[in-house]
Amino acid sequence: MSALTFERLGKSYGDATVVQDVSLAIKEGEFVSLLGPSGCGKTTILRMVAGLVTPSRGRILIGSDDVTALPPNKRGLGLVFQSYALFPHLTVYENVAFGLRRRKVAGAELEKRVKEALAMVRLGAFGERYPRQLSGGQQQRVAIARALAPHPRVLLFDEPLSNLDAQLRDEMQIELKRLQRGLGITTLFVTHDQGEALSMSDRVGVMAKGVMQQFATPEDIYHRPATGFVASFIGKPNRLTGSVALRNGAGGTLSLGGGLKLPASLIDQPEGAKVDIVIRQEAIRLHRDGTETGALAGTIALRSFSGARVQYVVKLAEQVELVAEAPSSGPDSELAIGSSVALAIDPASVFAMSAEGTAA
Amino acid sequence: MTSATDSDDRPGLAVTTTALAVIVFLQVPVIVVMLAAFSTTSYLTIPPQGLTLAWFGKVLSDPSYLSAIRMSLILACGSTVISLVLGVAAAYALFRKSVPGSEAITSFLMAPLILPAVVIGVALLQYFSLTGLRGSLIGLLMAHVVITVPYIVRSGLASLSGLDLAVEEAARVLGATGFEAFRLVTLPLIRPGLVAGALFAFITSLDNVPVTIFLIGANQTTLPVLIFSSVEMGIDPSVAAVSTLLIVATGIVLLIAERRAGFHRFV
Repeated sequence: MSALTFERLGKSYGDATVVQDVSLAIKEGEFVSLLGPSGCGKTTILRMVAGLVTPSRGRILIGSDDVTALPPNKRGLGLVFQSYALFPHLTVYENVAFGLRRRKVAGAELEKRVKEALAMVRLGAFGERYPRQLSGGQQQRVAIARALAPHPRVLLFDEPLSNLDAQLRDEMQIELKRLQRGLGITTLFVTHDQGEALSMSDRVGVMAKGVMQQFATPEDIYHRPATGFVASFIGKPNRLTGSVALRNGAGGTLSLGGGLKLPASLIDQPEGAKVDIVIRQEAIRLHRDGTETGALAGTIALRSFSGARVQYVVKLAEQVELVAEAPSSGPDSELAIGSSVALAIDPASVFAMSAEGTAA
Repeated sequence: MTSATDSDDRPGLAVTTTALAVIVFLQVPVIVVMLAAFSTTSYLTIPPQGLTLAWFGKVLSDPSYLSAIRMSLILACGSTVISLVLGVAAAYALFRKSVPGSEAITSFLMAPLILPAVVIGVALLQYFSLTGLRGSLIGLLMAHVVITVPYIVRSGLASLSGLDLAVEEAARVLGATGFEAFRLVTLPLIRPGLVAGALFAFITSLDNVPVTIFLIGANQTTLPVLIFSSVEMGIDPSVAAVSTLLIVATGIVLLIAERRAGFHRFV
């Protein structure tokens, strides 16, 4: 049985539809992310699950219970807000105890469970502090402890890491994942950060304009995108325009400007159609000229060093440029501007779709 | 500027002198009244001749003063409590935009702050004459609620606008009913602002003359109305004594408010 199920869940405000008939089933203990650009409807879905927004259509089930019409306090969920939303007038201890007190937990049992929750997020010594006396990362952990203490059936996260600096964010990703694994708690995580979604989730739902584009494992999302939007949203895409030269199964051959031809694994337009082409930066291998046959040829137009990787802008023809990268310690890390290179492009990371289908 | 040196950013002599002059000008009448209350003469005079507490004794044993003080306190306490309940509810609904036309309703509730008090007094007099509420305590209480509720609504709205709405949602998801979320989270967070608003309301009711004087019954009166009419009939230091009591009482209330709620942040 699924822990959390959406059946044709939808939300409209007047004529504007923000969530369109989303159906999915999340398994017990699963970590699922909803990923998409801002305004794609992912937060609205989360708020509908929490009971803070009333769906226009469809049903929400927790386990086998239909909770669609229940108020938020009757749903038994935990929610971690982007702003943390700690109660500023209560101590850390009382913040964590809040949900337990509403469930009439008292006395020694209350104290035990608050301490348990605080220990889980390594804030055992901070019970007497007030939220304003804590750093951003600590406040975040209090918010998690507060959500976990009442033993919710499902844990919801609304962009919880976006207010943290990059290093802390990476630490919290790992800590959160470890915590979630340890407790085996079903989790729905909303984010616009693909790195976060891919690295933490068992499955990822990619959304655009209120529509669920693909709901699959991170590997499938990355390697086998179901729609043009997913292909262009995930990874670090190069965007070109061209036309479809030949269809062959799901893929075929694309024609770029300047007489260049390129095999692609996913083409959602007929032969001869104008298309937007997405080529993942990380799928392009650069070689010094002459080492590879059948590859595209180009010249290095720009080189930029960013630590572990080196990015190159490679000019293939007039108006046709690609960004490619190489490990900064590898043999291709020192290609000079103006030098000729051969590009080997993995067709599995080349996608073509109608101009409207790509991520902005 | 005058003598400011380059490392000295305190205000110059001219500014300081002007500020002092303004403060003295504003405070002198208060001091004059308080001094006059201790004079042994049967007329107001400055400086006071001799020193006596007799006028205070006279005021505190005069049944007309005592009943006026009682009436003023009943009105001020009653209208503050009623305004708090109504004003907080109104501010909350207006802030959450849970009623259509919130802008218009806000302006309507604020109107008594802008309308001349005399106009309100005359209007209510007409209205109460028609509805038979004229001269009744209930009518007077309702009138005071009308003039005090804007202070609560305004301080309530100001406090709510500084609030992260997510805290109430967090409380709801954690299992609190709508009312519990309000009582346990929202209310404590806006309390300092409400204390300030309630004090304004209390003091506004306590020293209101222009509205009260139209509506008061023949055999009852409030303290400020009594002072007003006593002055008309001829002044003696008992008026100064009762004024002094009023000033001291207000001062004590403000002091407590400052200690308890950091009143200055809301003025």
